[in-house]
Amino acid sequence: MSSVLAADLGQLLQLVPVQRAGAALLLAAVGLPVVGVVIVGLDIMPVRFAMMHVALLGIAVGLLTGLDPMLCALLACGLAGAGVAPLARGPDGLSGAMGLLMSLAIAAALLLLAVSGVNASGAFALLWGSILSVGAADLLLLGALAVTVPGLFWWRRRDLALLLYDRETALTSGVAVDRLTLILLVLVAVSVAGAIKLTGALLVDALTLLPALAARRLGTSLTSITLWAVAIGAVVNAAGFLVALSLDLPPGPVLVLTAGAVVLAVHLVPERRISSWRATASDTPSSSH
Amino acid sequence: MDALDVRLRAVGCRHGRVDAVSGVDLDVPAGGRLALTGTNGSGKTTLLRAVLGLHRHAAGEIRVGGRVARTAADWAWRRRACAWVPQKPAAGRFPLLAGELLASSGAPGQALAAAARLGVAHLADRAVDTLSGGQLQRTYLARAVGCVATGAGVLLADEPTAALDFTGQEEAADLLLSLPVTLIVVTHDRALAARCDRVAEMAAGRLREAA
Repeated sequence: MSSVLAADLGQLLQLVPVQRAGAALLLAAVGLPVVGVVIVGLDIMPVRFAMMHVALLGIAVGLLTGLDPMLCALLACGLAGAGVAPLARGPDGLSGAMGLLMSLAIAAALLLLAVSGVNASGAFALLWGSILSVGAADLLLLGALAVTVPGLFWWRRRDLALLLYDRETALTSGVAVDRLTLILLVLVAVSVAGAIKLTGALLVDALTLLPALAARRLGTSLTSITLWAVAIGAVVNAAGFLVALSLDLPPGPVLVLTAGAVVLAVHLVPERRISSWRATASDTPSSSH
Repeated sequence: MDALDVRLRAVGCRHGRVDAVSGVDLDVPAGGRLALTGTNGSGKTTLLRAVLGLHRHAAGEIRVGGRVARTAADWAWRRRACAWVPQKPAAGRFPLLAGELLASSGAPGQALAAAARLGVAHLADRAVDTLSGGQLQRTYLARAVGCVATGAGVLLADEPTAALDFTGQEEAADLLLSLPVTLIVVTHDRALAARCDRVAEMAAGRLREAA
């Protein structure tokens, strides 16, 4: 039985779309979990839903004006990310801003679609991608993301660590908080919207948020959390994809369930055990708490 | 940067509809040491935060080193010029290492040396959310030393000894008063207040000279 499965898997891995999907998942595992770390750090977990709705608004604008709908969608997401940046200064932060954005965007999109006479589900379909249908251009885009996102992180890691820890601490440490928040939000918005198109909406969570949520529990600093997120992303993507191929199941749900299982497993491990894994936290406190 | 003078004129701050600070005039000459006392909720913390531009609804004029802050560049200069020890260090949404907090002063070496003096240098690799209140307060004090090393001319310290034991309070006071800066310290610690040049008291958002 297992040899038959292995033979089937070997044959499947010879197929070009499968090879491309595997390469896309590995590239995505480098860039997207890092985006997920920002999402967790800025507390903007509804961002995927917000960007889906903003992208739909962009598509509606594209269909109404005759411009490329996907380009309009990415542009709308970038502008929306930049637009909510000033709300980070408020006491409610960005979490509420994402909810507001989601509601406003879907209302505006549905209104525009009604005015333009386009079927909403047809517009949504333009947004949906699949990991098994990625092309060479998509791979290039994911490769660019895999280089630029971790590169930006490494370059500005001091500022990012302070900003994600606390906005006021960052402000009083000379970090250009407003500019950095804006850059991060645009990066997150465009990455998430782009990833929805490349991999499908469901898979975006497995590629971004879930590795970061597991890493958040395992790491003690921005650098260690980022490294954990990329490592978990790579392992989950490889394992989930191979399982999906072996069992002839759709990759998206299998990858999400695999990543979700890892998050649950990490949260079920007792804190004391995790602490012993953290080499950096090995010193014991010298004074009482 | 040498010690800088601090001058406040008719400063008022609101929390919603509540006047937290009103009509505050204050002059602290360069190198002066002012203890700011008063009951809880009298506006001391809000006043210090207004100097740093962290309180958004502030009126009046605040000058540090003769400069008011209007643009983003002005505020960036102000925050470099004024080191800050917060009353309630941020809980933090995300982990930050104590070493990273020390390095955020801009002078990691000096901050780490000060952390060693205060007995917290060995915690540099620990996440700040795992430190006790006293350890965190000492870390913020060490960070302030780093800020002074990079050129801050004013130190705004908000109850910097509140979480410390008696020995720690004395060590912290020695450190604060040894720095070549203008010091404005919010405190309920009578020993620390007595070692300052002046004591001013806040009550219901207003300031009066106590000694």
